[in-house]
Amino acid sequence: MMTLLGISPQLLFGQVLIGLINGVFYAMMSLGVAIIFGMLRIGNFVHGAQYMLGAFGAWYLMHLPDLFPGLGLPSLGYWWALILVPLAVGAIGAIMERLFIRRVYDLEHAYGLLLTVGLAMVIEGLFNVGYGAAGQQYDIPGSLRGGVNLGFMFLPNYRLWVIVAGISVCIATWYTIERTRLGAYLRAATENPDLVRAFGINVPRMLMLTYAFGVGLAGLAGVMAAPIYQVSPQMGQSIIITIFAVVVIGGMGSISGAIFTGLMLGMIEGLTKVFWPQASTTVIFVIMAIVLVFRPAGLFGKETVAAHAADMSTARPDGILENGRLWLVILGIGGAVLPFLVYPVFGMKILCLALFACAYNLIFGYVGLLAFGHAAFYGSSAYVAAYTAASWGFPTELAILSGVAMATLIGALFGWLAIRRQGLYFAMITLALAQLVYFYAIQAPWTHGEDGIQSVPRGYLFGFIDLSQPLNMYYFVLTVFLIGFAAIYRIVRSPFGQVLKSIRENEPRAVSLGYSTDRFKLIAFTLSAMLAGLAGGTKAIVFQIASLADLYFMTSADALLMTLIGGVGTLLGPVVGAVIVVTMQKEFATLGSWVIVVQGSAFVLCVLFLRKGVVGTLEDWLAARAERRRIASGGAPAPVAKGVHS
Amino acid sequence: MSGLSVRDLQGWYGESQALHGMNFEVARGEVVTLLGRNGAGKTTTLRAIMGLLRKRSGEVRFGGENLIGRMPEYIARRGIAYCPEERGIFASLTVEENLFLPPVVAEGGMALDDIYTLFPNIAERRNSQGTKLSGGEQQMLAIARILRTGATLLLLDEPTEGLAPVIVQQIGTVIRKLKERGFTVLLVEQNVRFASRLADRHYVVEHGTVIDTLTAADVAGDFERIQNYLKV
Repeated sequence: MMTLLGISPQLLFGQVLIGLINGVFYAMMSLGVAIIFGMLRIGNFVHGAQYMLGAFGAWYLMHLPDLFPGLGLPSLGYWWALILVPLAVGAIGAIMERLFIRRVYDLEHAYGLLLTVGLAMVIEGLFNVGYGAAGQQYDIPGSLRGGVNLGFMFLPNYRLWVIVAGISVCIATWYTIERTRLGAYLRAATENPDLVRAFGINVPRMLMLTYAFGVGLAGLAGVMAAPIYQVSPQMGQSIIITIFAVVVIGGMGSISGAIFTGLMLGMIEGLTKVFWPQASTTVIFVIMAIVLVFRPAGLFGKETVAAHAADMSTARPDGILENGRLWLVILGIGGAVLPFLVYPVFGMKILCLALFACAYNLIFGYVGLLAFGHAAFYGSSAYVAAYTAASWGFPTELAILSGVAMATLIGALFGWLAIRRQGLYFAMITLALAQLVYFYAIQAPWTHGEDGIQSVPRGYLFGFIDLSQPLNMYYFVLTVFLIGFAAIYRIVRSPFGQVLKSIRENEPRAVSLGYSTDRFKLIAFTLSAMLAGLAGGTKAIVFQIASLADLYFMTSADALLMTLIGGVGTLLGPVVGAVIVVTMQKEFATLGSWVIVVQGSAFVLCVLFLRKGVVGTLEDWLAARAERRRIASGGAPAPVAKGVHS
Repeated sequence: MSGLSVRDLQGWYGESQALHGMNFEVARGEVVTLLGRNGAGKTTTLRAIMGLLRKRSGEVRFGGENLIGRMPEYIARRGIAYCPEERGIFASLTVEENLFLPPVVAEGGMALDDIYTLFPNIAERRNSQGTKLSGGEQQMLAIARILRTGATLLLLDEPTEGLAPVIVQQIGTVIRKLKERGFTVLLVEQNVRFASRLADRHYVVEHGTVIDTLTAADVAGDFERIQNYLKV
């Protein structure tokens, strides 16, 4: 038998075929994400959940008689699902657009991402409650069973069908957008929605239908995927991150680019499985990193949309809540008495996550970069601290410092890659890079896969303070937190911090003043990663474990949620947010799988109703009260601080 | 059927008021200009008529119907067409796609051949990308594409801005021909000399209100008067 580089053609072509199938799904989904991103400026994180809905929709139709035994409904097979489910998922998408997504069009792009992250958590959480991790079986329709023997390999009919149908749908979509009147409306509305409305076109309805269409594509992909993969609540969770990476690689502004990139990356992934199986889960993210170095706009990208820093800060610099020296003392005293009020372990969890959120706020709140991969720094530091303490017997402080060093290193590398893009791209890139670390930790031998590194010794601080004593450990963590908090306050108040804020508010202006803004952003990003690493390393010692959860994107989402609930860009916001989120997680822990639903709802509610966060709202209220008093005592009204641009 | 009638039109950008009670009339078939310095509120008035300025009050009657509170897409379908100051040629669309973008809202729009006769340059470049056109051609295209739709009232925002004198002349000819064809035109201008040769009436706008009204005869008799309003 002929072999190719020592690999049988069956294996080679088999994997290329599987890769091509994956590529079809990547293409269909990244097409939807790219259309929604292009037209609506929404980074549709809920796309994976909508794909999952499609697969479940097909499964439901098949099992109608079992689901509603009394109604005498027929079991609707694959071909029905192929038509009905995309329409239904599209309709659900239209409702979601009407109820939620429409409300954030005029806001910073970051809110759209946060909102869809929340919606994805709610939907996937609900299905998780209903179906758990187990996958449901969905049979290949009878008419597509069997296959053809091509001589060198066996090609199942269903897979051939998926490839032909998927690519046809992609091409039809491309044609509609690039070559028809409807497509011209869409492209024009992307450039100047107001003018298109002034020509008499109902742009809001068109945007709703565009979203529904993109989502319907995900639903269709879900139906087509149902017989190939298991129908499970988790099926959309990881694919969306890959899809984001595909969109980054393809670049915006090119529909055909999204299709081609999806297909190509699927095949590359398949080939990698043949030649270097371990790397197959990460190859797309590595390609993304390489593309970012050489072609930051993506392979087919023409333009950079949504490419400005997100000024979402809600702080009022002169308020009493922004006085770092004062609050350092108050937090010190409050922290000192906390272990006598709550369990020290609970207190330490709050402190670790508060430091993590503060570190995150440094880059998100003060520089306006929507990082979405801080789990990589938190988690990698946790792993390194745990490993050096457990396996190499490093003393505690040295173990944590090793973790911090690792986080700093990764932070500098990721920052160097990611600062080439801004806005939503920055989020997608950091998310994808963090996923790289996650997949590495699943496979590397020293991280022990699903088990993580357990039984990490707490050890002795400086060789003589016994950290296995809860209070000793607690006060050590408190000290670490206060040092981190003070450092961040120092950073943002320094001239360096002023430049960071100017970048947040208007980067071109900062550049025109002669600042090399990329260098500032990189330094800030690295500092943020370093402090996130400090939080992660400390956490590994406190809880004596480093696990995959530390690296999972939900940890990044936690950092975002804490910062958002507390108040983006405020001094105390992340701390308040950490208290709220950790308490919430503890209170709802008994609900099991519902926690994720609750957390997702918190995301959605925050984006819709509490955009300024608890601290930001409080600062507004205090400022308004001070202003009222000043006017009451005869002062003139102050000019509006944040003017409206006309 | 009556033309456009604007009564006590007020408009806001956020908290700051830009229009403080505009009053003017444009009868059917007339060419009327809004003249005034930068920032007087001329463009804002057009945007308020079109519904692009959301925060507005007062009365904008067209064909007897008050359009305040209506969405832009509704207003466009009543037969008002808008040509913005920045021209708004879509970069990702070809010339022809730009031309066909505004949907037909009523019968009686100009036929494509007539449009190409009126704008020979556009016909030559119909397959180019929208932004490959020169400034003058872009302006022609911006006007051309709203003639097809059957709209009877054209809002033209500074069509001569930044264009060479010969092009300005061409645009003047076009507007005169449009008037002959029965279009009603509300023209925002800073170029008084250009406007004075075209319009039946001029409204002078300052601080978001109309401070004076001049007929074509007034301007012909006393050009100084109108220039005084606009000099810096």
